[in-house]
Amino acid sequence: MNLIDVFPLTALGASDFLNLGPVLILTFGAVLSILLGTHKDKGHYLAFGMSLASVLAAFLVNYAMVFSSDVSILGETLIFSPFTKTLSLMLLVFSGIAIFLTFGHDKKEGLLAEIYGLILFSVTGMILMVSTQHLLFMFIALEIMSLAIYVMVAMRRTSRFSAEAGLKYFILGGLASALFLYGSSLVFGATGSFQLESISYFLSSHPNPSYIYYVGLGLILTAMLFKVGAVPFHGWVPDVYQGASTNITGFMGAAVKFTAFMALTKISQHLVFVPQVSGLSWFQNYVWLIAAASMIYGNFVAISQNEIKRMLSFSTIAHTGYLLLGLCAMNVGETSSEDLIIYLFFYALSNLGAFAVISQFEEKNQKDLTLDQIAGIGLKHPLLGAFFTLFLLSMAGIPLTSGFIGKYGLFSSAVNSGEVPLVVIAVLTSVVSVYYYLRVIIYMFMKDSAGEEVTFQGLKGAGLAAFISAVATLQFGLFPRAIISFVKMISK
Amino acid sequence: METSCLLTWIIFTPLIFGFIVALMPQSLESKFRKLALAQTLVNALLATYLYVHFDGSSYASQFVHLVSWLPDWGINYSVSIDGISLPLVMLTAYVAPVAILGTWPDIHHGGLKKEKFFVICLMALQTGMYGTFLSSDIFLFYFFWEVVLIPMFFMIGIWGGKDRIYATVKFFIYTMIGSLLMLVAIFWILKTGSEQFGAPTADMGKLSELAFSFDGTSLGSALMSPQSLLFFAFALAFVIKVPMVPFHTWLPDAHVQAPTVGSVFLAAVLLKMGTYGLMRIAIPFFPEAAHYFSSVFILLGVIGIIYGAFCALAQSDFKKLVAYSSVSHMGYIMVGLFAFQKVAIAGSLYQMINHGISAGGLFLIVGFLYERLHTRNLNEFGGLAKVVPLMAIGFMIMTLSSVALPGSNGFVGEFPILLGAFQTQPTFVLFAGTGVILGAIYALKAYQLVMLGPTTRSDLATLKDLNLKEVISLSILTIFVFGIGFFPKTFFWKSDASLENYANTLIQKVSSK
Repeated sequence: MNLIDVFPLTALGASDFLNLGPVLILTFGAVLSILLGTHKDKGHYLAFGMSLASVLAAFLVNYAMVFSSDVSILGETLIFSPFTKTLSLMLLVFSGIAIFLTFGHDKKEGLLAEIYGLILFSVTGMILMVSTQHLLFMFIALEIMSLAIYVMVAMRRTSRFSAEAGLKYFILGGLASALFLYGSSLVFGATGSFQLESISYFLSSHPNPSYIYYVGLGLILTAMLFKVGAVPFHGWVPDVYQGASTNITGFMGAAVKFTAFMALTKISQHLVFVPQVSGLSWFQNYVWLIAAASMIYGNFVAISQNEIKRMLSFSTIAHTGYLLLGLCAMNVGETSSEDLIIYLFFYALSNLGAFAVISQFEEKNQKDLTLDQIAGIGLKHPLLGAFFTLFLLSMAGIPLTSGFIGKYGLFSSAVNSGEVPLVVIAVLTSVVSVYYYLRVIIYMFMKDSAGEEVTFQGLKGAGLAAFISAVATLQFGLFPRAIISFVKMISK
Repeated sequence: METSCLLTWIIFTPLIFGFIVALMPQSLESKFRKLALAQTLVNALLATYLYVHFDGSSYASQFVHLVSWLPDWGINYSVSIDGISLPLVMLTAYVAPVAILGTWPDIHHGGLKKEKFFVICLMALQTGMYGTFLSSDIFLFYFFWEVVLIPMFFMIGIWGGKDRIYATVKFFIYTMIGSLLMLVAIFWILKTGSEQFGAPTADMGKLSELAFSFDGTSLGSALMSPQSLLFFAFALAFVIKVPMVPFHTWLPDAHVQAPTVGSVFLAAVLLKMGTYGLMRIAIPFFPEAAHYFSSVFILLGVIGIIYGAFCALAQSDFKKLVAYSSVSHMGYIMVGLFAFQKVAIAGSLYQMINHGISAGGLFLIVGFLYERLHTRNLNEFGGLAKVVPLMAIGFMIMTLSSVALPGSNGFVGEFPILLGAFQTQPTFVLFAGTGVILGAIYALKAYQLVMLGPTTRSDLATLKDLNLKEVISLSILTIFVFGIGFFPKTFFWKSDASLENYANTLIQKVSSK
């Protein structure tokens, strides 16, 4: 078989180009901002401006095209539908905030100006990832995204934690990619296609696929569960969260998680949740178990953390568990992923905001902020303290914040599809999570500083990122109607 | 059905004032508390207007205000009031200025730290409380129910006593466990609702028409019936808030550590959110399960009455004594609500108001004493009546109200509960009645130790009596103590139609099986 059969190339029309526009803009913008970043004095400013302009331009083009008719490129490899374009819009929002978050922080940490270009490259990968239904192309998009992320994680050149985190993430990520690729080839062998929909169609007419299919599926799922950081494939999460520069951690927690989860959802929808194939029930139980394990493990381990980024990294594992619960719910009743998307979108915004606040208090090369260090900062910096409180309450799912709306939608659809036991587990572990989120608030507002003072860095970019996220968190917590209706509409 | 924005104004006036305070510069610090007082007075005026225009002859929801909020999930911003929520709203509206006047910080001692944040918390708390009592949409109810937690969490945690962090976390986590299980139950009834009505709805009036299957043939089948599971999920959230023994342990800690104004709000209003929830949702939505298990709740209520009284008797910390007395008095409400008898149910509603007044007053007295003598240990007082006669009078009135002396408001609440419950559950009431005696013992003991007897302190000469603000705040409560005590009908007649309809519907639902 020739490569041309796998990726049949056809001539691109004008509407294809318009739909590819955001990807093209981002790619050229990335190259340009890396070039501009080499300017001796103003490299950082130029790269920042260029990357922000590219994201903005990509956003506008994408926004203008949201409701244009579906376009499929490269023989159905890339599909641009209102659904995928909305996901791309969300990713562009995250990357815009991440670029603000990076500005100022990069100077403090001594990051090279290339970081702006790398952010754009990774977003390019993410957009391709959410727009494809093709296993091989998914692998390519995954690599475009991941390679940029590996570099960004290791970019704090003077910090050994960063190097450690980068290497760990790279080796394990490489293994996951290899598993994904091998799994895809086995699935191709068993079903004769890389297209998710064709595989799904094949399965519904062949309810007893060869065992090779199950092996391949297992490998693919393992790779994706690694990327979303679910127990037991979560080992890299805490170290990478701590070692990476805080702006990158925020970006990863938002955008990478969003993308990886959307990919996992897509794969599960087509390859796991096929009611005709009885052999797949084992995999469905497997996802159920991993969801429960992630919630329990993430929440209980987060309790004992005294370092904030590390605590948030375990909390993100717990959130993966909640999201997997939403995924399980899709198996039984709900077939659309709207609740997952809303939850992920809200969570990503709060997450970006939280890391923006953290970056305001971190010194150069500092591994993490400890709870003792933030004692009393809520009263000293009331606005940042209030923002951080808002983000933490949002992650804990308390009303007034978007996190509550997200959780409400996710859990209620899970109850509607009969996953009551898992919802009860989720709810009880949420109580546990309230404890560790509150602990941070308690230190910020109710304890006096124990001597180890942190200095306020006064980063304007991070301040703006925190402000945008806080407004969004509150806005979607009180008036989520527009976004819910929108996501509902496009996922029909 | 008339539409009106009045209730929305009542709910959000505190929040609007909160925004104004948030935007004011720090240099105006001395004005914040005055603004808080102004806000509570505005709310009291709005509430009075509401009371006057409330049609007491009808049990229907009035002053309905409905705005579409999340139509995809069938959720509306919908507030309304009936005879059951009316007294609670009035209680909140009148207790708030009393609490603020009675706990005015002493400027000469440097006032309170972070005054601005404190005032904002106070206002946010009121918005949450009004919202909880006025919501007629179950999602909105849950929303406000949770929102109340956050300002209270900060109030105890920042301005509380020595062990404030332990107390505030305990308070928060306890409430969260209950309310998250309630959330799962809400999902369940919303799901059933959307299946039966064909479209999602979160309107409480509509949801209360749903019938969930209940099989009372054996204890096991009754426990596993959907109706019982839902009932327990809701009831757990509410009885934690009440608090009912054995879920009461957060209360003494929270009360003792909270600043005085926090304690007043906690005792007077927050606890009533629990009993209100039972009365509004848990019992009428799931009547058969509630009736089947009513003995359990009455038993726990009676245990609460007696156990709370004994605990109160054993305390040397004045504030803890009042806190345990709350456990005891809230037990009566549990007995009344689960008696499934018309008079008892009415008594429970009265008792909610009366306990709010008497417990609020007693916490104010504790606050006055602590502010002046910096101790709450009952053995370190004594003979204060000679030095501070006004305070002694106020304390006496609140004590009498607390022990339910005929002629005071406490009697109006407890007597109908015991009278009504005796007709359905005589044995339990026999034991509950002993609570009245025990209540008199610990309350009078506290009064005696503080105000009477020999003086044990040397610094009493400098002790100041109540100032004007404190006198006014206690006077308002006193008016209600005797007003309700002598003319209960004048105060409660607007609830009669609603209570009548509530009790009839409930008893009919239960007895038809």
